[in-house]
Amino acid sequence: MRTTSGVLLSRFAMEIATALVTASIGAVVCFGSLEFGTGWGDAGPQPGYFPFYVGLILIFASGVNLAMALVHHRERLEAFLTTEQAHRVTAFFGPMFLFVLVSSFLGVYVGMILYLFCVMVFQGHYPVHKALAVALSAAVANYFLFEVWFQVPLLKGPLEAMLGIH
Amino acid sequence: MFKTGMIATLLATAFCAAGAHAAWTPDKPVEFVVTSGAGGGTDIFTRTIQSIIVKNKLMDAPIVVVNKGGGAGSEGYVYGASEQSNPYRVTFGTNNEYLLPLVAKMGYATESFTPVAAMALDEFLIWVNAKSPYKDAKGFIEAAKKGDGLRMGGSQSKDTDQTLVSIVSDATGAKFNYIPFKSGGEAAIQLAGGHIDSNVNNPNENIGQWKANMIRPLCVFSPKRMMAGPKVTKEMSWSDIPTCKESGIPVETYQMPRTIWLAAGVSPDVVAFYSSVMDKVRQTSEWKAYIEKTSQTETFMAGEDLRKYITQDTARAYGVFKREGWLAK
Amino acid sequence: MDNFSNLLDGFSIAFSLFHLALMAVGVLLGILVGVLPGLGAPNGVSLLLPLTFTMDPVSAIILLTSMYWGALFGGSTTSILFNIPGEPSSVATTFDGYPMAQQGHATHALTLAFMSAGSGAMFGVVVITLLSGWVTEFALQFSSPEYFAVFLLTFASFIGMGSGSAWKAVVSMMLGFACATVGMDGISGNMRLTFGFSELVKGISFLVAVIGLFGLGELMQTMEEGLRFDGIHARIRIRDVFKAVASMPGHWLTLLRSAVIGCWMGITPGGPTAASFMSYGLAKRFSRNKDNFGKGEPAGVVAPETADHSAGTCAILPMLALGVPGSATAAVMMGGLMIWGLTPGPMLFIERPDFVWGTIASMYLGNVMAVVLVLATVPMFAAILRIPFSIIGPLIVVVCFIGAYTISGSRLDLWLALPFGVLGYVFKKLGYPIAPMVLAMVLGDKAEDAFRQSMMMSKGSLSIFWTNSPLVATIMVLAVLLLSWPLVSAVLKRFRKVA
Repeated sequence: MRTTSGVLLSRFAMEIATALVTASIGAVVCFGSLEFGTGWGDAGPQPGYFPFYVGLILIFASGVNLAMALVHHRERLEAFLTTEQAHRVTAFFGPMFLFVLVSSFLGVYVGMILYLFCVMVFQGHYPVHKALAVALSAAVANYFLFEVWFQVPLLKGPLEAMLGIH
Repeated sequence: MFKTGMIATLLATAFCAAGAHAAWTPDKPVEFVVTSGAGGGTDIFTRTIQSIIVKNKLMDAPIVVVNKGGGAGSEGYVYGASEQSNPYRVTFGTNNEYLLPLVAKMGYATESFTPVAAMALDEFLIWVNAKSPYKDAKGFIEAAKKGDGLRMGGSQSKDTDQTLVSIVSDATGAKFNYIPFKSGGEAAIQLAGGHIDSNVNNPNENIGQWKANMIRPLCVFSPKRMMAGPKVTKEMSWSDIPTCKESGIPVETYQMPRTIWLAAGVSPDVVAFYSSVMDKVRQTSEWKAYIEKTSQTETFMAGEDLRKYITQDTARAYGVFKREGWLAK
Repeated sequence: MDNFSNLLDGFSIAFSLFHLALMAVGVLLGILVGVLPGLGAPNGVSLLLPLTFTMDPVSAIILLTSMYWGALFGGSTTSILFNIPGEPSSVATTFDGYPMAQQGHATHALTLAFMSAGSGAMFGVVVITLLSGWVTEFALQFSSPEYFAVFLLTFASFIGMGSGSAWKAVVSMMLGFACATVGMDGISGNMRLTFGFSELVKGISFLVAVIGLFGLGELMQTMEEGLRFDGIHARIRIRDVFKAVASMPGHWLTLLRSAVIGCWMGITPGGPTAASFMSYGLAKRFSRNKDNFGKGEPAGVVAPETADHSAGTCAILPMLALGVPGSATAAVMMGGLMIWGLTPGPMLFIERPDFVWGTIASMYLGNVMAVVLVLATVPMFAAILRIPFSIIGPLIVVVCFIGAYTISGSRLDLWLALPFGVLGYVFKKLGYPIAPMVLAMVLGDKAEDAFRQSMMMSKGSLSIFWTNSPLVATIMVLAVLLLSWPLVSAVLKRFRKVA
């Protein structure tokens, strides 16, 4: 197989991978529903009936998609992701992942400030003071909007506890 | 040195003086966790208490109400128990706190909570469609013994409604085809539309349909008749409904307590604080209006009484669950 | 014309300076909560509830319903501008609204959405006014088999629509069904597919999935293409607003069809979400520009918006007359009704006509006010698009995750939004349709519950779906017809060619 320059991930590989993932989700669903009986009782279907067949259909349909991918996409060297695209997506997804990671330990506010600040400075090339202003004002605005006005508590971490904010 | 010492002594005396009245008071917002969705019975119970506390200034700290009704209320209990000994999280529910863990594997145990108080007992009645031939409980039970069972609707499965239906079946030999709906309100509409033969709803869930003469109560599972009040329909008020015992069903009492909990591990002072607030709540006229409006029975249990009640209630339900094969493995 | 004189009495109650002010406040607050995903109308209404304890019931319900209208309008705004549906019922609006915005027609799309929504709501109020007595009777006819038939009809009107691979649509729909089964099963009380995680007991929230699939998925796609919202011209011209308003009469057929679907689904109560999906499906099926749907077809915005709002409006009636809340927001309002000392039910119309008709009259006024106010906010929202993408992009990410967290205050939901985002991105690139998955997630568990309740009623006999009532048989026939429509039309086409 020839490889076109810049293609990091071919559409073919991605079609196969997706079909395999959806099929395995189907398998998990089937397995999980076995616990409650998958038959048809006196009062209609048992609790596991629907999820079990949903899982089976999922596996079957994934199988068809797999076969279709083998037929249709094998010869075409269509790209799913070029190197350049991959760079852009990682540049977006990476910080987002870190934002969630930081937020789930230190709270949403800290996560939000760090995320907005870092993305603006390192990716948007804004001056530090501007980025800091946006990040802090976003946190303050959210605090008032959620905690004060609508009384919906957001996830808070040790820092808020230390500062006595609740 | 002397000065500091004196301030310390003064402070200590001040604390002691305060301690004589209330050893613990909240100094930041308190979360009221509702173990039902917005608009459900527990939600109205919680928000009524909130409004009474705010109106009468029974507590200085602000209150934040959060609804967590997923998984028949288990979402709220899991959340309420997630921070042991946190005195700022009060969980509101029913007897499902100690019944849910019996029938399914939950993310919390009954012991994860300290009971604070039970504030009211909600009644259960047998209701039928107004156009149905059943005039009294006796005729209804006789009809349910024949054939392959009457359609009985209720809220949720393996919950209070289905448990009561099972108790009645066991006591009388009547057969019911229990159909679980999402809420008591839904079961009320299905009964009014004639799609099911009966339900065992609480007074509050069916009053609208009863007022419009679409459905009819047969009897109440209470040791004595309900509080007299203004007439609901042209002919009847709540007190005109016979008890199930006097109508020949050998089930004397079946009531659902409205309960308040703290996470296990909180200090006794905290429990004392909240139960004294609740004690003040129940003495207000707004609380009396709530009880009357929802046709519940007034009660107040705390401390040892409450623990005893919970043990008894659990034991009875355990028997039913075991017979029906509902117990979680 | 008893209803008419009642309505006039209602207007005399609802029309006061105080009430108009309440409406304005309610609508504006509603727009605010509607715009933010995660903070929905139920949040807003339950927050305002304590304020209403001391109010007169008519004033109280005016405040709460106005907030509800505002939230419905606000939900469409983010759907169109950012592909993030603020409310479940505005998911279908994203299908064509967002492409329109991308092509530079944001103002047109927003105006169209608000005008259709207003028309739908008006239609709904008129239906309520004329049919208030009869509607209760109709709603009482519905039991589990009828509900199941309605859900089936919704699926049927949506199936066979995608242009892509049918098997990919099946995978997408089955994933949706699988997500809908997670959590406590209402019929048996079992915990299904939780695998021992107590956070999963409450199920996978549909909103978390939508935030991930649509909001985050879309952002990833935008970033990958390096587009940075280039297509959107943020300049707002008042002319665009008028042009959109002027184009409304051209959509009369879509408007009428969608309004009827909406009313029907609002009363039965299939709900606004089902109504908007069904109406979108049918609009596409009967349209001459079938191929333009999903690529920025104006009728694709008109249809779901009209149905959503006429359903939302009509759903108020069963709430008052039967005490069945048609939506989460209606449930909160019903709780309010009880606290104010009113009992929802058939007698409410007889005991408190002033309250009922005051509410209905306020719905006319409130919706007109909502349209005016929300149109006034269009320039403001469109201006957001002028902020550089390197600022607004991360801000949208933050809003998405906050939205995911606030739905039930669960840390797990923060983490769930991520894989849903990746799924949305991958699916879109590989040509898997996302709409069937969303539809299955919204209606899957309801359809399953209705099916199993029916089976309990009939003791396992499927014939209940034909014999229970003439109503259920009719809906089932309609559903089967719609299901086989692609087949029928294909046969017809071939037939014509041969002849």
